[in-house]
Amino acid sequence: MAASLGRLLHSSGNLLRNGARLKCQPLHTAARALCSNTSGGLTTIRPKDEVMKNQLTVFGEYVAECLPKYVQTVQVTAQNELEVLIAPEGVVPVLSFLKDHHNAQFGSLADIACVDIPTKPYRFELVYILMSLTYNSRIRVRTYTDEITPVESCYSVFKAADWYEREAWDMYGVYFSNHPDLRRILTDYGFEGHPFRKDFPLSGYVEIRYDNELKRIVQEPVELAQEFRKFDISSTWETFPAHRQGSKPLMDTQGRGHEAPPEETPAEEKK
Amino acid sequence: MAGLVRTVGRRFFSAKATTGLTGMAVAKDPHLALRVLYTKTLAALEKLPKDAAYRQHTEGIINDRFDLVKTVPDVAELERKINCGQIEQVIIQAEAELSLARKMADWKAWEPLVSEAPEGQWKWP
Repeated sequence: MAASLGRLLHSSGNLLRNGARLKCQPLHTAARALCSNTSGGLTTIRPKDEVMKNQLTVFGEYVAECLPKYVQTVQVTAQNELEVLIAPEGVVPVLSFLKDHHNAQFGSLADIACVDIPTKPYRFELVYILMSLTYNSRIRVRTYTDEITPVESCYSVFKAADWYEREAWDMYGVYFSNHPDLRRILTDYGFEGHPFRKDFPLSGYVEIRYDNELKRIVQEPVELAQEFRKFDISSTWETFPAHRQGSKPLMDTQGRGHEAPPEETPAEEKK
Repeated sequence: MAGLVRTVGRRFFSAKATTGLTGMAVAKDPHLALRVLYTKTLAALEKLPKDAAYRQHTEGIINDRFDLVKTVPDVAELERKINCGQIEQVIIQAEAELSLARKMADWKAWEPLVSEAPEGQWKWP
């Protein structure tokens, strides 16, 4: 808390031209006192909020206890974000519970996001982000589906879901049953395909131009002047040290060692 | 900042002039409204099995608030004791809980898990 307050007092332009970082100069002595840790050194690392994490864990267990029919897992991320992973049959019950129950009161649907992971058994993951104004907190509800399995629309619970679900349909092809008006919202009127899927190319399949003889826009297969270049850059740094699969060699070919950093793993309570 | 509070004869004068929130009218008789809503909610909760966690927790909350409604006659004092916003907001919360309790009986949400996630579905990355 003190470190975050200290962050607000400092200007952001601390980089020198050669990329080295200026030592964080406090504006006045009060700032130094605010953003120093107990041993006296300056710190701008986000402090761990164990109290918040415990509160979220307790509430997550409460939700899982009240809705055992639909909640598969509950987890709290390292950034103190609560996630409830549910079966797709339980979208409307869980969202109704979170909206109406006294201890939850998540009255605002902030967003419905969709994630496409083609390698998974159910490739689309739906993420409902809810906000509680009474308790000043957020929660994420996640389900899964594939191209042909419909998900119950939560329009009856949150009116905001109307356009969010239309967007998920248009961009990914996730079908919502009992939606009042499920049609395209962002793509062009005759557009075929679902653009945000991972197998949809970046350039698309068709391009349009104005044809002088026909006196209208025509759609033609896309022709790029330069062939699409894919750079297969592998990073020298391991991006997810907490999620290694199998054994990794401790040394690479140049003999440099990879030290395992003290990593954060999301606290999971499996039901 | 609850607006002007007049404690003369609560049935003839509304307890405050305004809620301060757009579209939320001052409740004419909040004690009656809450009494009706809480009674109906407790009746709806009776249909759930006794060991259902939702029923136990919700009955606890409703009974606590119901006791406060029965013992505290002054509206501003009741708002402070309940400590969840204005009394009109408390009425809206009670209506929401009532509709939820009725739907929970249909969904039977206390049953064990209806379907497990397939292997690897929740693995990230």
